[in-house]
Amino acid sequence: MGMLDNRVAVVTGAGRGIGAEISKLFAAEGAKVVVNDLGGSVDGSGAASAPADEVVAFINDTGGQAVANYSSVADYDAAEGIIQQAIDTFGDLDILVNTAGILRDRMVFNMTEAEWDAVLDVHLKGTFNTTKYASIHWRTERKGHYRLINFSSVSGIFGAPGQPNYAAAKMGVVGFTYSCANALGRYGATANAISPGASTRMTDTVPEERRREGSVQSEEEDPQRSPANVAVPLVYMASEQSDWLTGQIVGASGYDLQLFNKPAVIRQMRGTERWSPEGAAAQFEQVFKPAVEGGGFFG
Amino acid sequence: MGMLDNRVAIVTGAGRGIGAEISKLFAAQGAKVIVNDLGGSVDGSGAAAAPADEVVAYIKDTGGEAQANYSSVADYNAAEGIIQQALDEYGRLDILVNVAGILRDRMVFNMTEEEWDAVVDVHMKGTFNTTKYASIYWRTEREGHYRLINFTSGSGLFGAPGQPNYAAAKLGIVGFTYSCANALGRYGVTSNAIGPGAATRMTDTVPDERRSGVVTESTDADPRMSPANVAVPIVYMASEASDWLNGQVIGAMGYDISLYTQYAVQRQLSGTERWDVERAAEEIERVFKPAVTGERRVG
Repeated sequence: MGMLDNRVAVVTGAGRGIGAEISKLFAAEGAKVVVNDLGGSVDGSGAASAPADEVVAFINDTGGQAVANYSSVADYDAAEGIIQQAIDTFGDLDILVNTAGILRDRMVFNMTEAEWDAVLDVHLKGTFNTTKYASIHWRTERKGHYRLINFSSVSGIFGAPGQPNYAAAKMGVVGFTYSCANALGRYGATANAISPGASTRMTDTVPEERRREGSVQSEEEDPQRSPANVAVPLVYMASEQSDWLTGQIVGASGYDLQLFNKPAVIRQMRGTERWSPEGAAAQFEQVFKPAVEGGGFFG
Repeated sequence: MGMLDNRVAIVTGAGRGIGAEISKLFAAQGAKVIVNDLGGSVDGSGAAAAPADEVVAYIKDTGGEAQANYSSVADYNAAEGIIQQALDEYGRLDILVNVAGILRDRMVFNMTEEEWDAVVDVHMKGTFNTTKYASIYWRTEREGHYRLINFTSGSGLFGAPGQPNYAAAKLGIVGFTYSCANALGRYGVTSNAIGPGAATRMTDTVPDERRSGVVTESTDADPRMSPANVAVPIVYMASEASDWLNGQVIGAMGYDISLYTQYAVQRQLSGTERWDVERAAEEIERVFKPAVTGERRVG
């Protein structure tokens, strides 16, 4: 008896790291899994079938069910094929986990157009592409308990200075997730984002001086940093039990599971007519400045 | 004596709506303004010089200084030209306000690739493009009191169901703004985002059933919904007095000016080893579910 018995999942970027661990754990919990991975390098170049094949072989060898898919999620037409493969092979699609991503780190003043475009294409457009075709299926079938699980990052949530493209893409994924939560709830789909913390080949590329406390510490021997830890809460999120959980960011870092807040107004100056620029300035310093400088965001 | 005397500003998307009001108010407060607008339609098609020209004419007629620029911010190379025009004409650049944006509203299951790309290009890449070239200048000069002011939206902060592309782009801009806040502070730059509420031609395209109630209540005759209200707090944010304000989202809606929460962990389950899948499920329901189902505004 697994928590995901009889459920069908697509996991993108599933050939290595966190995506591979999610696929293996989902299969161990009874899900049938489409293991999607382009097999490229961390910067998005190249392609290979071996990463996805190895994860599929592991799953099939350990009594699970999985098939490989080698498409790029950034390819709008190919994304339809990924979703269709789940429906053709396993007869349904219950869970879509968008893990696929690449990195091209650079400070904003040095970043090239190609570096910006490549990261936005894979993370943000790739997440849209697969979600669009999954949502068409979900809206048609309306069986319920559908799960969209997208990957965000503390890089976006807190703003990593050396990753303007990745930070933008990862918070863009959150905005997209909020929109999907509001749009797809009526069709039985929940939409949530994960903020992971783990040591993978993606964090290995981050120079020491850019690491932020609590995000990426490379301790390869440290079991706290294993990507397998990140997969654990996703099982519950992907299960039929989590209908109540939608439009949220869940953190999975080491052995800690976190629920993030959502944007909300914390201080407000209410006017009865248009503020004068001078009047608004005085209010900024009186009302907002203590909140910003005190950092006391939680009442 | 204006709050922006001797300061030079670029305002993108400044030919109409909120951008035009910002340009006029900045000029009235003493700033020299590059009024950038492609002059296209709300969906991004077409181009015309008249919108930017009319704003420049108004500013000059009322004793201010301004120049028009007609480039698309989505054009990486043209963005360099927008920044260069400020340096060539006015000898410096203190303030960059990225207002330019378009809409292509559609539910996620009906959205085309082209609708996704167009909106992400103008809002997100457009904001990156101008910011990159401004940040090169700011990093070279390091005079301080530089201001990056980007436009987000309640659509992204709360997830408008009929605007998956716009929601993604607008929260992506928050992630980019956070990254810039952390990256550029050492060069004397603050980076903040504005979530506006006003009746403009952009909100006029939003069907009633898609309005979130927070951002887009169209009441043309209501002075509360005038885009001129949104411009007021941006004067203070653009002034030399606001060095303390960095990495924040400010709401400007009607006569109300708001400070938003930053993201933070609100509930945490701390483990000492990898969570068992069933245990994690139980604990997520025990600790996270009350926070989500009883969701309240923080503060």
